[in-house]
Amino acid sequence: MNSDVAEAIPRLVEAGVLPPDEAPRLLRVARGELLSVHWELRALLYVGVLLVTGGVGLLVKENLDRIGPVAIAAGIGLAAAAALGWVVRVAPPFSWGEVPSPNLAFDYMLLLGVLLAAADLAYVEVKFTPLGANWSWHLLIVAVFAALAAFRFDSRVVFSLALSTFAAWRGVSAARFGLDLWWKAGDAVRWNAIACGVLFAVLGFSLKRTGRKVHFEPVAVTLGWLLILGALASGMGEPVWWAWTVGLLLAGLGLAAGAFLARRFSLFAFGVVAAYAALSRLVLHGVLAESLGCFWFFITPIPVIVGLILAQRRLKEPE
Amino acid sequence: MTPAAALADRNGAVRAAARAWKEAGAIDVEALAAIEAAYPDDRQGVGPVFRVLLFLFTLISVSGAFGFFMAIGGGAMNNALPVLLLLFGAGLTVATEFQITRMKRARGGVEAATSLAGIGFLAGFVFWICDTSNLKMDHSLAATFLAAAFLLAGAAWRWGYPLYAGGAMASFLWSFVAFPGARLVWIAIPLLAAPILTRFSESARLPPSHRDSCAFALGVALAALYAAVHLGSLDSHLLEERQNAWLPSSPVLRGLSIAATALVPVIYLAIGLRSRRYVFLLLGAGTGVASLVTLRYYVHLAPLWMILTLSGAVLVAAVFGLRRYLEAGPGKERHGYTAEPLFEEMGRRRMLEAGAAVLSLSPEARPVHEEPKFAGGGGSFGGGGASGEF
Repeated sequence: MNSDVAEAIPRLVEAGVLPPDEAPRLLRVARGELLSVHWELRALLYVGVLLVTGGVGLLVKENLDRIGPVAIAAGIGLAAAAALGWVVRVAPPFSWGEVPSPNLAFDYMLLLGVLLAAADLAYVEVKFTPLGANWSWHLLIVAVFAALAAFRFDSRVVFSLALSTFAAWRGVSAARFGLDLWWKAGDAVRWNAIACGVLFAVLGFSLKRTGRKVHFEPVAVTLGWLLILGALASGMGEPVWWAWTVGLLLAGLGLAAGAFLARRFSLFAFGVVAAYAALSRLVLHGVLAESLGCFWFFITPIPVIVGLILAQRRLKEPE
Repeated sequence: MTPAAALADRNGAVRAAARAWKEAGAIDVEALAAIEAAYPDDRQGVGPVFRVLLFLFTLISVSGAFGFFMAIGGGAMNNALPVLLLLFGAGLTVATEFQITRMKRARGGVEAATSLAGIGFLAGFVFWICDTSNLKMDHSLAATFLAAAFLLAGAAWRWGYPLYAGGAMASFLWSFVAFPGARLVWIAIPLLAAPILTRFSESARLPPSHRDSCAFALGVALAALYAAVHLGSLDSHLLEERQNAWLPSSPVLRGLSIAATALVPVIYLAIGLRSRRYVFLLLGAGTGVASLVTLRYYVHLAPLWMILTLSGAVLVAAVFGLRRYLEAGPGKERHGYTAEPLFEEMGRRRMLEAGAAVLSLSPEARPVHEEPKFAGGGGSFGGGGASGEF
């Protein structure tokens, strides 16, 4: 209930600002007489999908011997086929543009179908080992399958799943945006993360440039830059820390500048934070006096804050 | 809040609603411009990304300044710590007041950071006083929580930060945990406060920020009430950690707790559904899930995989059914509920969904350094693929 908005609506109608036919519905929402549960239902569907896939995972783990591998593989496969079959049946025709979901459950049934198919493939791979020593390639197969499904059925959620599964194939957990590189990464994983990040960013750029599935671009670019910056930042504790740090500084500055010009606010934030962290690491290397370190963090944010306020005036990010 | 800030807050609510109407296509650009002209905003604010950045860098600067003064003082500064805490706390509070009332800043990030840091330093000062007064640690913490509750409540009232109101309620309730009878307090205060906060959260006399503050405090109070009557919290003596002997085992008490664990979510949901109050609906759903998990914990109904799969399937089916029920109603609504999105920004929410999918469904990374020797263990469910082990 929003009494200020409820008070304003009749005045705005009187002043001719609000169309009279829209006013009753707006007024009911403002008075709390009409409540949308659209996003709550979507969230519940998402939780439902998580519960089902989690339950299926446990079923396989706990009943592997009792049920038998063929029955499990066939059962999960059938469930996946049922979900995907429903999706295929109700899906609107393909378009390179944004296609509205035919109904609330569409995205989530698609997600469920893809997850079950992926789980089935993983199970078959573990149990029957068709790929043998190249077992990890099944992640690539899943990533490609998810990407195709995402493009065909226009699902950003499944597209993000495709990207993160591809990153997993290259040894990078996208769920932690490259942060796990801090603890267990060697250079190989780090370079893989950077390569994945660059690939995702380029993919996003291509989508935008070609005008095909433009609304997927933010997913690819954001995940890509998070992986690149996370990988570079993780190198700051390595023996050749300075090279990674300089890389992070340059990448951060470049991203911030590019995002500033393109008015991409979240990317601008990533760039600023990355560049500041890298600069602080370079300047404070070898500084043993605690007071100097604190002084740096006391003083240097002030010009950053001033710069941000000036940048905001130029960019005018909507509140 | 000052009258000027309250007026700006009210105008801000209308402007925000108008932007949502525009997003949903209910009004055009000209109408939006006319509404923004009719309800002007003289506050200096920035967008959400810049707000987060300004908040972050202000906190870094304030922490750096405090650390710097501590470091240059060396050992001598330990004696001056309370003075420094008080100076920083008071200084930052004055700075916040100046920014909000004189500079007319709102949603700017900097003033939020200075207010939070100011409250933190003042609470630290209170803790220092208590700690050096030979109070027991429990009592020192209780006094600190109480002080934090008043500071947060004052900040919510003066500067209009709803989150602080929720924090104030949580701190206030937590300050009783060190004493006997905390559970009773956690039951009594929410029961007394809930009707008042519910009324204030809808009062047209209050500006939107104060109404939201009441709603936040109400949410925390309802959650605390559920925690106090919950069977798990009773069995684990969650609120009697330091006063274990105060709560003797009693079958009657346990029976009441079992009944309350089952009933409280139902009551919240019933109130929420009947009155369409979002706080009650949210708390009802959340506590309902918690009670079902509690039931599974105490009563072994079926294997976990079956519970998860069935509950997931039931949930999906229930959502399908509910959606159909709502959409079949006149104007795609029933009893004041609709499954249609109403004047909401779709793009940003869908980006959040994509982010959530990456966080919750991504498969584990395969080990890159592994030599290509297959050992029959490369899959786990839960993501868009598999790795690790079944």
